[in-house]
Amino acid sequence: MSEWLESAITRAQGINDWLLPKRANAIELLSNTKWPTRKAEAWRYTPLRSVERSVAKAINDVVGLSPVDITDLSAIELVFVNGKFDATQLTKVLPKGLSISLGKNLDSAQQKGALETFSSIKPERHLFGLVNDALAQDVVVVTVADGVDIAEPIRISSLLSQGGESHTRVQVTLGDGSRLAVIEDVQAQGDSLNTAFVEYHVASNAQLEHYRFALQTGSNISIGGSHFNLLDRAKMHSTIVAFGSDLSRLDTDIIHAGEFADAKLNAMYLLDGKELFDLHATVEHAMPNGTTEENVRCIAADRSRAVFNGRIHIHRDAQKTLAELNNRNLLMSNTAEINTKPELEIYADDVRCAHGATVAQIDKQALYYLQTRGISRSKAQVMLNFGFINELIDLMPNAALAEWVRPIIRERFSQMEVK
Amino acid sequence: MSNAKNLLTIKDLHASVEEKQIIKGLNLDIKPGEVHAIMGPNGAGKSTLGYVLSGRDGYTVDSGAVTLDGKNLFEMETEERARAGLFLAFQYPVEIPGVSNLEFLKASVDAQREARGEDAITSADFLKEAKAACKQVNLPIAFLKRGVNEGFSGGEKKRNELMQMLLLKPKLCILDETDSGLDIDALQVVAEGVNSQRSADRSFIVVTHYQRLLDYIKPDFVHVLSDGKIVKSGDASLAHELEAQGYAWLQKEPAEDELEG
Repeated sequence: MSEWLESAITRAQGINDWLLPKRANAIELLSNTKWPTRKAEAWRYTPLRSVERSVAKAINDVVGLSPVDITDLSAIELVFVNGKFDATQLTKVLPKGLSISLGKNLDSAQQKGALETFSSIKPERHLFGLVNDALAQDVVVVTVADGVDIAEPIRISSLLSQGGESHTRVQVTLGDGSRLAVIEDVQAQGDSLNTAFVEYHVASNAQLEHYRFALQTGSNISIGGSHFNLLDRAKMHSTIVAFGSDLSRLDTDIIHAGEFADAKLNAMYLLDGKELFDLHATVEHAMPNGTTEENVRCIAADRSRAVFNGRIHIHRDAQKTLAELNNRNLLMSNTAEINTKPELEIYADDVRCAHGATVAQIDKQALYYLQTRGISRSKAQVMLNFGFINELIDLMPNAALAEWVRPIIRERFSQMEVK
Repeated sequence: MSNAKNLLTIKDLHASVEEKQIIKGLNLDIKPGEVHAIMGPNGAGKSTLGYVLSGRDGYTVDSGAVTLDGKNLFEMETEERARAGLFLAFQYPVEIPGVSNLEFLKASVDAQREARGEDAITSADFLKEAKAACKQVNLPIAFLKRGVNEGFSGGEKKRNELMQMLLLKPKLCILDETDSGLDIDALQVVAEGVNSQRSADRSFIVVTHYQRLLDYIKPDFVHVLSDGKIVKSGDASLAHELEAQGYAWLQKEPAEDELEG
């Protein structure tokens, strides 16, 4: 076991609050877990040396950090600063049918319900999910009542100052037939370490629109997850946009726990320098008639490293499942690395599934075509890269977010070089 | 006219693709406002000429000189040649999903404006110009929003090339087998577009296998390209001769390699 994990367990053992039973369970599991080496499949291409060496520490005073402004986006802001929930930044009067509360402030009946939901969707195999179970203290519980359509998105921001460590946790429950949009975001200064996990329970006929931005770069370590449980005819549409950092890892799990559920996941990550980004996306089709469409695109420049593991598991009962996974990668240099592993595991016989992964270099013919029209080689590269990603940006349901992220991505492309 | 300075001068050009020589001593002078047709059998080097002049990777100039407006073409990058007024209409235009036609067209126009020291055109002004160009080449306005050539039919791609020509206003247009894959209606639209752009300060090289296109775009000169050289030149009537005789008379023995499609 690593010193880092030992210290985390020791700290967790000192916390005594309403989450005690779940925390105790996580601590026990962690105590019996071997610290992963490169032989562990889940961490094969993502070494944890940087975690072992991390000097990030819990920072107790809540410094005046606030999330970046997104033009034309009006959102209900849930802000964590160095892991502490900053209630002063939740200024909106909440619409009817939406409740947001710190778990520790719930009454005992509500707390009992929240405790049952806690960690019921996120699988136990996620090592840092267990770390988050053990160390997250300000757990925020979001509930949308049956049939309620919440017009404004909720934005969950995890802000870290220099050298800070944080463990944030939110659980979101959408009642029958309700609608909600949630944006997850991390903004981290250097030498920081962060685990951020959100669990979503999407009840029958409910619709969730989800975004996760992991645009933090540099000497930041971020390990997190978004986990979704879909009941009958539930729908989710998720968009992930990421850059890389010293270590940036995201695990998503989509569980079709009801029939006729529909999941769309579009992920894109753009890596430069020596950045690392790792996406592990798992879809469990446990029930019949579900659909999943997953599009994952990556552009890796310089000496960066991208890891993708996309697993679709179709259980014996999940007849009439439609599932597609498409992963496309562009390498911009000879020293960048892309590790991709799509996995289909099918136990039902009447299903339609497809998966594919490609790794390519920038299309030289297209580059030449643009140049023959007077466009410089470097501008043409930006246009082509942007085009590759823009197809997915165009699918983002929230126009304000798309408009916000486009120039950020364009800026990144202008820095990435073909080598 | 004959005393005017050449717009394009090609002197004893030799060029290869993958170490195989395709252009073997080509000479050609083009003055402003002239339309030259280059005809010839498959494998003669017709498309190669366009690629060499535009500076495509993998096409190597072995010897010879080319000047455009007095400037050494081979000292310029592909994009600089375009900004100097060279335009190649592709036989097979490239599909670029994700880059909208409008964005592509505006970036092209802006790059050339920038080279002339002008500011970028405003989006509103450009949209107006692009819509007019769309109309002129008979493409629905919706094509501006689609990915560059993405899912376009053969004819639509050729019309999109023509639209770029209308917007970029080049000095020298090379039309590489623009007639291939076009039905007679599409051919007329393209020919009308080209004819509308003929002017005293714009020249054309019309590369074609068939005489048909030249019924619509009347050339001032016709050259026969065979085995990398111009073997015969004449006026428009030469095209009709070729149509009647075919290209067989050029070749004592059949070409072994047919590098062009």
